[in-house]
Amino acid sequence: MKAAGALVTTLISAALLLTACSEPAADDGGGDGGPAGDQEAGTASGGGEAGGGSITVYTSEPQEKIDEVVAAFNEGNPDVEVQVFRAGTGDLKARIAAELETGEVGADILLAADAPTFEAYKAEDLLLEYTPADADALLESVVDPEGYYVGTRVIPTVIAYNTGAVDTPPTSWAELTDPAYAGQLVMPNPDVSGAAAFNAAVWLLTDGLGEDWIRALGENDVLVAESNGPTSQAIADGSRPVGVVVDYLVRDLAAQGSPVAVSYPSEGVPYIAQPAAVFASSANPAGAQAFVDFLVSTEGQTLAVEQNYLPVRADVGTPEGAPSMDELHLLEVPLEEVSAEQGRAVDLFKEAVLP
Amino acid sequence: MTPLLRLSVWVALAGVVITPLVMVVSLAFGANHLPMLLEAGLLDAAVNSVVSAAVSALLAVAGAACLALLVDRSDLGGRGAVRLLMLTPLLVPPFVGAIAWTGLLTRGGLVHTLTGWAPWQMYGGGGVIFLLTLHSLPVAYLVVSAALARVPDDLELAARAAGATPRRVFGDITLPLVRPALLAAFTLVMVSNLGDFGIPILVGSPAGYDTLATMIYRMLQSGTVDAPLQVTSQIGIVLLVLGIAGVIVDRLAARRPVELEAAGQVGTPLRLGALRAPVSVVAWVVALVVTLGPLLALLTRAILPAPGVPLTWETVTLDNLRRVVTAPSTVSGVTNSVLLAGGAALLCALLGLAVGVLTTRAASRTSAGMLFTVLLPQAVPGLIIAVGWLILGRYTGLYNTGWIILGAYVTAFTAMVVQSVRGPLAAMSGSLEEAARLSGAGPLRSLWDTSIRLALPATVSGAALVAVTAVRELTLSVLLVSPGTQTLGVVIFGYQQAGDYNASSALSLIFMLVGIAAVALVVPRGSHRRRRWLRGTSSMAQGVRV
Repeated sequence: MKAAGALVTTLISAALLLTACSEPAADDGGGDGGPAGDQEAGTASGGGEAGGGSITVYTSEPQEKIDEVVAAFNEGNPDVEVQVFRAGTGDLKARIAAELETGEVGADILLAADAPTFEAYKAEDLLLEYTPADADALLESVVDPEGYYVGTRVIPTVIAYNTGAVDTPPTSWAELTDPAYAGQLVMPNPDVSGAAAFNAAVWLLTDGLGEDWIRALGENDVLVAESNGPTSQAIADGSRPVGVVVDYLVRDLAAQGSPVAVSYPSEGVPYIAQPAAVFASSANPAGAQAFVDFLVSTEGQTLAVEQNYLPVRADVGTPEGAPSMDELHLLEVPLEEVSAEQGRAVDLFKEAVLP
Repeated sequence: MTPLLRLSVWVALAGVVITPLVMVVSLAFGANHLPMLLEAGLLDAAVNSVVSAAVSALLAVAGAACLALLVDRSDLGGRGAVRLLMLTPLLVPPFVGAIAWTGLLTRGGLVHTLTGWAPWQMYGGGGVIFLLTLHSLPVAYLVVSAALARVPDDLELAARAAGATPRRVFGDITLPLVRPALLAAFTLVMVSNLGDFGIPILVGSPAGYDTLATMIYRMLQSGTVDAPLQVTSQIGIVLLVLGIAGVIVDRLAARRPVELEAAGQVGTPLRLGALRAPVSVVAWVVALVVTLGPLLALLTRAILPAPGVPLTWETVTLDNLRRVVTAPSTVSGVTNSVLLAGGAALLCALLGLAVGVLTTRAASRTSAGMLFTVLLPQAVPGLIIAVGWLILGRYTGLYNTGWIILGAYVTAFTAMVVQSVRGPLAAMSGSLEEAARLSGAGPLRSLWDTSIRLALPATVSGAALVAVTAVRELTLSVLLVSPGTQTLGVVIFGYQQAGDYNASSALSLIFMLVGIAAVALVVPRGSHRRRRWLRGTSSMAQGVRV
């Protein structure tokens, strides 16, 4: 039949007709994406009344956890309608980049990933400057000194293991390169997970680990899962009994009955703070700030602890089974170094560990 | 009046079919990202796409032929039930099938939980091919079975009378006569599998096995590409070329159809003899495993609180089911999916009926072109339609709204209504309309009172099919969702991607049971009508024929 031929001709002629279209570019009329466009935004103070309206949150929080956060926030702020878009940090960054190309960011708040991501947005003037109501009560290391974003939970990456399959768990990162663990390990993909990318940079910059350690890890037949969720799943169901994963997922699963436990490596743990920031283009900065204020408030942090997160303030305790904040040995690496090395670390990881 | 109707239909088609597809093609030709794409593994992805689609199509057709012979032509025990069971994958969206089967066979899955032995880590090319085969076997079967039913009994009887063994009869008479149907089933399935997204993303990607469809998704979502839409448009072109090649092969194969008159009676059943018992047992086991295996796997994960928990009476819980049903994301997912599916059904029904009437009852020189245009999206993988609407959304400001999902649904599914409507309309004689005209009715009025009224039942069943297809859809919406417009398919996909397998299984289970119930309601009563409906709709549901 001529159908197929017609199809080819139709498409080719259509293509020629419209040849060399480029991607829809940023429309200059949009303008309101820039920081100049927001008027009273900068002056709105922290703990102010939310007023109402709706806000959109882009987040990489697990769906249920963010649903609970929104429900708790709405108890105190019933007039603010919160729209949530949940996706991996990589997906969110892609979405934000695409939105910037044609207009403005569709979100009022970004609650995701790691400080370097926010540093990059800050450098592009995309974030609103403001200091959350309770900033003084928070861990100093999670509050941006310039006041553009604030950490909302301390999320260390740890070694987790299946208690049914492993009697003596590894106690250090170095130990993971032991051939005894060949074929036993699972970890998230730094190419997809923001936390994993951050960790890769920290490992690369930590004395005693570095490039050699990442390469040795690659020799050990590590299963690279897409993100932390599937990683914890593989550890819990025993298909890969030892893994590298964020600690709260392990506590979540253990609470539900999975045979998993955490081992805090002796070298210390890299951590991200899941920062929150308000976009400068937010149409409802008051509502957005109220939401961020809530995240770090005593109430919001108590909920975080109930959700198995380590909090960013000292007055709300820690989740059951988690070390207290002063017992925790955190790997602190200067942010600029992490930002500078992250790309190289991810590339190295892809080359050495990914199949 | 008809010219006006024709014009408005053309305008609608230009908006929902031509523009998005032209967008993809024109954007793709705007710049050259080929070197980057080649480095990113375009060639591997293309090879994986072709190999997985071709091998699964081959296996599906071979399996379908065996199945057709066994359940249509042999004295297999309980063949009606075997046929019905083997057709169930048709009712399950491929991505739900992927969630279920990995939950059955891989480590940590049902078999592993029960026996401590994990039969198959199905991640990778093998798993993709297996699942594609399983999900396309019913469609292949319906095509082959229809052809088999038209093989005249007397030819076979004559051969038998002349002393041929059953094997000779099959090889010399039956097989040559159904060969065109086998080939047609092959291309149909292959083109459709080429564009499948759910199976390769859930089963292939975790093992680094990318196809063109998953590569498009990754390029759009990774945030590492500079001009993601243009880049994915270029991958889309590769898919489009492969799809067109498939359609051309199909057309070449269909050029010499074997015209067969429907035999007065169905051929004598093939006697299996001593093999009857063992073959029946094997067929029953396969049919039961295919049907119940995935269902049980979903059920187990749904009622276990967390991975690694042993399955005992004490550990069973309904918490997962309760939490996924009450989760705000599920509620909004259901609302969105139902609204979008309902809207798509309505729009597709209107457009489809108009196209059906114009191309059968009021033929003009542009009718062939109109029919071609509306059926075209069936040869285009869903992801390309989605990319087209993404680009369109960026240009029109509809980005981040539900409208682009609705638009994509109308692009992809209008053909279902058209195909459903054209049959009855074409079979109708023109005398009814003439009678109406003679009685003084205007052209539109006479169309409305005769053809359209008579075509309404077919329109409704076509629209119902659109609704059922759209409500369980993932491929289009996964690229087009925005805050507040996540569809149900995307919600399940999200749970699975986030590693909450207990939640994704719980929601899949509910989804599957509701889906089966819905299809059972939509399918006409009466076994003959039901089979005809299934045969017609399944090829549409796979969405390929031009």
